Amino acid sequence: MTDGIRFDPAQIRELARILRDTDLSEIELVEKDSRIRVVRQVTVAPVAGATTVSVPAPPPAAPQPVAATATPEPAEAALPPGTVTSPMVGIVYLAPEPGAPPFVQVGAKVAQGQTLLLIEAMKTFNQIKAPKAGTVTRILVENGAPVEYGEPLMVIE
Amino acid sequence: MFGKILIANRGEIALRIHRACQEMGIRTVAVHSTADATAMHVRLADESVCIGPPAPRDSYLNVAAILSAATITGADAIHPGYGFLAENARFAEMVEAHGFAFIGPSPEHIRMMGDKIAAKAAMRRLGVPLVPGSEGAVATLDEARSVAAEVGYPVLIKAAAGGGGRGMKVARSEAELEEAFRVARAEAKAAFGDDSVYVEKFLDRPRHIELQVLADTYGNVVHFGERDCSLQRRHQKLVEEAGSPVLTTAARDALGAQVTKALAALGYRNAGTLEFLWQDGHFAFIEMNTRLQVEHPVTEMVCGVDLVREQIRIAAGDRLGYSQSDIRFQGHAIECRITAEDPETFAPSPGRVSMYHAPGGPGVRVDSALYSGYAVPPYYDNLVAKLVVHAGTRAEAIARMRRALAEMVVDGIRTTLPLHQRIVEDPEFQAGDYTIHWLERFVARGGRDARAA
Repeated sequence: MTDGIRFDPAQIRELARILRDTDLSEIELVEKDSRIRVVRQVTVAPVAGATTVSVPAPPPAAPQPVAATATPEPAEAALPPGTVTSPMVGIVYLAPEPGAPPFVQVGAKVAQGQTLLLIEAMKTFNQIKAPKAGTVTRILVENGAPVEYGEPLMVIE
Repeated sequence: MFGKILIANRGEIALRIHRACQEMGIRTVAVHSTADATAMHVRLADESVCIGPPAPRDSYLNVAAILSAATITGADAIHPGYGFLAENARFAEMVEAHGFAFIGPSPEHIRMMGDKIAAKAAMRRLGVPLVPGSEGAVATLDEARSVAAEVGYPVLIKAAAGGGGRGMKVARSEAELEEAFRVARAEAKAAFGDDSVYVEKFLDRPRHIELQVLADTYGNVVHFGERDCSLQRRHQKLVEEAGSPVLTTAARDALGAQVTKALAALGYRNAGTLEFLWQDGHFAFIEMNTRLQVEHPVTEMVCGVDLVREQIRIAAGDRLGYSQSDIRFQGHAIECRITAEDPETFAPSPGRVSMYHAPGGPGVRVDSALYSGYAVPPYYDNLVAKLVVHAGTRAEAIARMRRALAEMVVDGIRTTLPLHQRIVEDPEFQAGDYTIHWLERFVARGGRDARAA
């Protein structure tokens, strides 16, 4: 359920003007549940729920290197907090063996360290454990599905 | 022919491999770290699998993740590119053990050429000319001393497990030998885990000339001529040419015949490059690279061959289908390696490329994974583009390179484009008058004409 990000263009223009007129490189305005951030010529990682505008700096006389210390991760829909992601490449198995009941189901309460599923890689089965105690609210993969590093597996809240 | 190839690499070479596969109708799987999720070859590949976080050890060197990715995507073969696992014999063995084809030489030959002493011994047996030196490892200072006395000073003490210019110490006279010997061994142990060293005569003004070879699995071996890669800084090549300004057709043919005969006797398969030092008309083998090289495009331009395609064909069991007499050398090619470094201090310059514009026109080729808006990650090597030109003569190729360098735009990061522009203006470069020491001296005098310094 989204109701479109509302912003006031005049407000953004005003912020950009302030940025240009001062030595600031970044201005962030937060009120209630909206946030506006205006940034001068640095790499920007979009944050869900915020509007970000880049202000191009005036053309420099000498080329200005962008001192990026770390490449931001590609913009993607923010994962819900509590998402357990895959630490490896392999095939997911939701039960200890075919025909057996799955390790967990939606709604199950799990303890920290409890096995949630298996990922098989190179003929070895690796137990993927709950990083913290909570309730399994979503299972995002199917039995037998291939997964890559970082792929969301389950959500534990 | 393979239906699907997994590209176990990144950057420009991963894109190069993807392109060859696309043209052959072969599907591609791009494995990548989280830092490379927006890489051009990942965007273009038919499938992609994230195999780990940015650090090479956890991603591009992560054998388990790569093999697992090949399994879950149903790949038929794996191309290792260059660097990373390309010359890792154990990786090649595991690829084959898991039922995938390894697009490269046999694990046995990767291992043989990875040990620089074994490589020289093999070449010695096969009649390839070597740098004079010890026949194998020298275990004691006395042995080193007697070899050095025989070949004459200055000498180089080299790590058997080294290569690529690493793990070498010079001793200009007998007085310097003891320290060079001890330090070389200690450094070799620390860097490679193996303190075996051997002794070679030190050539004071050689050129680096290498020969491209290709062999199928039916005993057919051909060579595609030489590349002159003398322009190096700290053993990193910056500019390469095909052919060498100093070699005659006769000299190339003679070396080529010797080398192809040796590799046929060895039973070598797929691509490889033999590196030589050349001084006063004599070739001396230093090492062999059992993989595709960064500078392969200059050979491709001069010979009209697609070496990556040939690698794939050979790995799939095809015959070469041509012989040495079918290979023609047309014109001259030059490659400039553009790196994300300050052109004067060589400080690394990763970051977002705000504007990228590649040169074009006749005889211009750019192998690069850059695009406007791409963020060059700081975790990997700094090569961002290879600008290659081809023309009828060396003089025309230099004029074309000058023109192409001036058109090329990479904004937002520092690159060595301005350094390359100065190199191609230099009279000594234009005369082809350089050795492996030339570039460092050029850089030391601020990239200026020697006569003006």
